[in-house]
Amino acid sequence: MIRGLSRIIPSILVGVWLTIGLLVVQPVSAEEKAPASASPELASESNAVSASLVKGGLPTDDPTAAVWSTAALARFPMSPQVHWPNRILDATVKDLNVRALHDGTNVSILLEYADPTEDADDAAAVEFMVGDKKAHFAHGQPMAQVEGGPVNIWFWRNKDAKGVDMNAMGFGTLKVQEHQDVQAKGVYSNGTWKVVFTRPLVTGHLEEDTQIEMGGFINIAFAVWDGKKDVSGGIKEKGSQKAVSSWWNFRAEAPPNYTGYYYAAIAVGLAFGFQFFLIRNLKKGHRA
Amino acid sequence: MKGALVTPVIVMVVVYLLLKFVVPIIPGSAPLPFSVIILYMMLTLSGIGMFYTLSKDSKDAFWGPMERFLTGDNIGGMQALRWGLLILFPLLVGWQTYSSTAVSDEPPGENRTIHPAPPGEYAGLSNPVAKTPDAIQQGKGFYAAYCSPCHGGNFDGKGPAARGFNPPPANFADPTTIAMLQESYLFWRIKKGGVGLPIEGMPWKSAMPRWEVELPDEWIWKIIMGEYDGAHQSPRTWE
Repeated sequence: MIRGLSRIIPSILVGVWLTIGLLVVQPVSAEEKAPASASPELASESNAVSASLVKGGLPTDDPTAAVWSTAALARFPMSPQVHWPNRILDATVKDLNVRALHDGTNVSILLEYADPTEDADDAAAVEFMVGDKKAHFAHGQPMAQVEGGPVNIWFWRNKDAKGVDMNAMGFGTLKVQEHQDVQAKGVYSNGTWKVVFTRPLVTGHLEEDTQIEMGGFINIAFAVWDGKKDVSGGIKEKGSQKAVSSWWNFRAEAPPNYTGYYYAAIAVGLAFGFQFFLIRNLKKGHRA
Repeated sequence: MKGALVTPVIVMVVVYLLLKFVVPIIPGSAPLPFSVIILYMMLTLSGIGMFYTLSKDSKDAFWGPMERFLTGDNIGGMQALRWGLLILFPLLVGWQTYSSTAVSDEPPGENRTIHPAPPGEYAGLSNPVAKTPDAIQQGKGFYAAYCSPCHGGNFDGKGPAARGFNPPPANFADPTTIAMLQESYLFWRIKKGGVGLPIEGMPWKSAMPRWEVELPDEWIWKIIMGEYDGAHQSPRTWE
């Protein structure tokens, strides 16, 4: 009997050692997986915007509402748009703070950035990919070896005081959609713009609008224009001359999910049961 | 008898320490991934199991103490350890299950190939511009005008426009960038820019301009010479 049981004991040993091994090695492997990011002065402070789920109304027309302080802050560095002419080598906005909230139906995204002057042509935009195809962050520029998709751009300009829902697939292809789903509102105070964009999480326009599924990550990018006029009356930043970000990640948080706890409880029960029957059989073996 | 249990534990610990800390410092080696370490540990464990089941005596010497630990009546202070293990093990299993099934808050990872293979027509191209001091100087001038805003006046990837881009502009002074590449590779990358990359190069994230629409080929070849000279690097060659 002892011989038979001795075949079971290795299973315990393997289980215990593997578990302890995993515990010991996991923190180390996490260090190994840390991305080799850029040097500190170039690294982004955040890599994702997470829209918290709120009950009650979203602050769709109030970028200064107190509820925004409950949303996680993400901070992204901005660069002048150098990818395509007409490029710009120095843009006013260097950093962008982003927060987001959603109520299960609509999502609101708040952009906050320093701009020394309030100008009629000050503008901001949020960009997403549409559908499954990847799109270049610069207006969905066509790519030589990869079939890319379009981008969906939500645009706001101070003098228009509204959101505009657009699509592009390369510079010079920007097109305002026939159906407008985006609202936007900007408030300027103490050298800072706060602009909030709001749209339903999902729309019926799969070919044109990004669809935001709760819990899933999608890509997001940003652009900001300083509409200040120079001495000759020209606008400092307009069109392709703007501050831009790379693609980052966006997620609308899913409602709380307790599945992991259920599975863990079942696993604990099974492990206790395994131990109980193992020891009972071992004792029976001794008596035999 | 106790030695039968202590020895395998020592063997496991020594093998782990070897794999984790000694193998990486062997010249030409590298840190082992977690999965490879686990694989070697499993093999070691299997070997220990086989070794101790070769004869009845060694098997009894090996398993006997463990059976007594789990079921014996008079094991003194080991009683507390037994209960501790019987409680800890299910909790660890539960924790592992939770960790592997819980929804991650981290965005999906991306594996970007930094130097993907260029299209065939660029392989083996040689720089048609004679490497003269004048040509190099001209190339540095073009570099200053077109490339330095991102790649930096010091060729270190830290130009004033660089900070927001991800991936960051290449640091040419780093010996793992242009020093590992042929001039023809740079010609392809400058000419076609980010949008010319294959899918493994993540073309949708690169801000590198497609310079072929703005600069003649001759300027690009001169820029390449200026880059190597300015960054104190040499192109990789077949010799």
